[in-house]
Amino acid sequence: MSSQYPALLVATPLLAALFISIAGWVYKKLCFPIAVVALSVATYASIGLLLRVLNEGVVHYRLGGWEPPWGIAYYVDHLNGLVLVVVCVVALLNLIGAKKSIDQDFPDKIGPFYTLYILMVTGLLGIVITGDAFNLYVLLEIAALTGYGLLAMGDKRAALSTLNYLYMGTIGACFYLLGVGYLYIVTGSLNMADIARILPPLYESKAVLAAFIICMVGVWLKMAFFPLHAWLPNAYTHAPSASSGLIAPLVTKVMIYVMIRLIFTVFTPEYAFNTLALSNAFVWLAAIAIVMGALFALAERNLKKMFSYIIISEVGYMVGGIWLGNRAGMTGAVLHILNDALMTLCLFLVASNIVYKIQGHSFDDLKGIFRKMPVTMGALVVGALSIIGVPPTCGFFSKWYLISGAVQAGQYGFVAALLFSSLVNVVLFFRVLEIAFFEPFGDHDGHGHTESIDEAPLSMLVPLLIVALGLVIVGVYTGDIVNLVIQFAIPREIL
Amino acid sequence: MKILGLIIAVLTGTLLIYTTSDFPSWGDPSSPASTHLSPHYIEKTLEETSVPNIVTAVLADYRGYDTMFETTVIFGAGVACFFLLRVPRRKEPVERLYRHTLTGMTLRIKDLDEVPENLDEFERIDTLWAPYDLIIKTVCRLLIPFIQLFALYVIAHGHHSPGGGFQGGVILGASFILLAVSYDLRTAKERLREKLGGILCAVGVLIYAGTGALCLLLGLNFLDYSALASILHVDPITARSHGILIVEIGVGLAVMATMIWIYDNISSEGKYEEGL
Repeated sequence: MSSQYPALLVATPLLAALFISIAGWVYKKLCFPIAVVALSVATYASIGLLLRVLNEGVVHYRLGGWEPPWGIAYYVDHLNGLVLVVVCVVALLNLIGAKKSIDQDFPDKIGPFYTLYILMVTGLLGIVITGDAFNLYVLLEIAALTGYGLLAMGDKRAALSTLNYLYMGTIGACFYLLGVGYLYIVTGSLNMADIARILPPLYESKAVLAAFIICMVGVWLKMAFFPLHAWLPNAYTHAPSASSGLIAPLVTKVMIYVMIRLIFTVFTPEYAFNTLALSNAFVWLAAIAIVMGALFALAERNLKKMFSYIIISEVGYMVGGIWLGNRAGMTGAVLHILNDALMTLCLFLVASNIVYKIQGHSFDDLKGIFRKMPVTMGALVVGALSIIGVPPTCGFFSKWYLISGAVQAGQYGFVAALLFSSLVNVVLFFRVLEIAFFEPFGDHDGHGHTESIDEAPLSMLVPLLIVALGLVIVGVYTGDIVNLVIQFAIPREIL
Repeated sequence: MKILGLIIAVLTGTLLIYTTSDFPSWGDPSSPASTHLSPHYIEKTLEETSVPNIVTAVLADYRGYDTMFETTVIFGAGVACFFLLRVPRRKEPVERLYRHTLTGMTLRIKDLDEVPENLDEFERIDTLWAPYDLIIKTVCRLLIPFIQLFALYVIAHGHHSPGGGFQGGVILGASFILLAVSYDLRTAKERLREKLGGILCAVGVLIYAGTGALCLLLGLNFLDYSALASILHVDPITARSHGILIVEIGVGLAVMATMIWIYDNISSEGKYEEGL
């Protein structure tokens, strides 16, 4: 059975989404249990797969039994083995944590919501696991399309901001597809490993250069890399909590994985770092992204929007870390995919609990909330410490790797940007905590029910506490994660 | 801002055209695209899958995994449309138009609490657009069965001629939409209820993904149709051809139901009362 883990990982959520859709018409109460079971099976399979990769090395899986490059194949190494586990765990925790808010937000449309949710997870898993450049695009479509559906059902302004996202996301996906088309014209293949094998004699070709740039820009658009970020803050802020809790931690991180995969497996590090002399410019771009994200966040008076700008800043961390081109920087970037997914999940689960009880997410709504929701806000403190980078939370360690990588590469601008954003994060979170802790509770302009506000229900608190605890545990075991997994995820030729 | 956009668009376009100079020339038989993978498909398809139509074999077998997710994309679009647009039935006073079938007189009834459904001498008509259209109705009534028959042919003959599940499914869906356009939405909904349509969408994709999962249960890889040989009592190569037919049927169902679903939601603004 363990040889079928790769297929199970994608097929189980897909089949579950279809069964949920049918259950939505026939017997609505089944939707949630099917979703939980499917994601649990996927989590189990992803962990099994990662263990297999740790023991045996790269795992290949041929779909339909066809040999690549004629058929489509999965390709799982340490890098996507880790990301697969992250996607499954985050999606499962958010699903359980979001049940109450889903019941509150869409009582009539539970079936389609869970269908889209699980389909989106299927899409993300498919993007991460595949070893075929075109197949990646197909799954990208699924993840994007379901994402638009999930985000657009939020408050009044959600539809417009999602339409904005739809335009930008579609352009990004088209760019990626165009790049793959260019690659196909010059290599005649769609399999990533096969393309990498054919490319070396073509390194000087203008078409390959164009393919690389188009793919990168497309992926950057999708991950909201500054200055292509404008769609993200509004789309995530106005979305329903259950959707933003899935999409905010995962979509940007998965797209960063795609960028790393393109560099490592399709174009090869040799081409990306040696043939092209662009790394310096990209690291500077990342430094600007970090600073701008931090400044935008500083200007916000709304909790979810502030979190969204923090994501933009964090995207800069990871893009910069990869383009530093050395082992420490890349270790930091890959580790940060794991850490940032958990940190963002923590923040958005906190926001979800607050929205569930108070129906608002501006700073004014947070007044005195510490006394009413101590556990939720306690988790926010842990999340904040991790984003700021205080040991022993995990955020410290990835930032440490990134900074030491930047020093090795002599990129002091990037170091300065990292330190600057850490300081800004201190200000950001202490401002929030100050409002929540010291301002008197009350005056929730018209939201009503102020007396009855208390701690969020247990089913929302437990996933949040698991995540908050996870931030510390991942931090403590960073050494093991790096030595056992991430070390092997980075190509050997990079020192 | 507009000028800046124009400059960026022109620059990007120039860059793209400039880089095409490294492309192999148009229709070059020695270009990588025609020498790397294509020869294998052209020479081996019949031998490996027993399907005469190479395009169908590549689409539904060699790269069948892509096609499964393309079908899922369509399903996802239908679900998203339903999720965003469908409004639950509200209890509010309605305004309706009825036409007396014998005299052609129309009645407008406002603030109706109890809605009469089936009246002998009156037919319900749309409030916005309800002319007599005897010719259109008759022609469509005559044409629709043939359109549907042709759709079934396209689905079933994907192996041999151009066609397949997507094309056939679209034609089938279009026949229902033609019914909704020429009569009205309610007539079309009586033929295919909303609930049945929604379930069919999922069932279509389920046929595809379920076939894949069945192959997995029978001991081979996901979507390896040759595993079906033991169930279908044919040799593994012929089983691939049958497997393609099964998934094409699934695609056809899913595409048909989703087309109708999306049309219903958009044209009636999610109310399913009347539309277009």
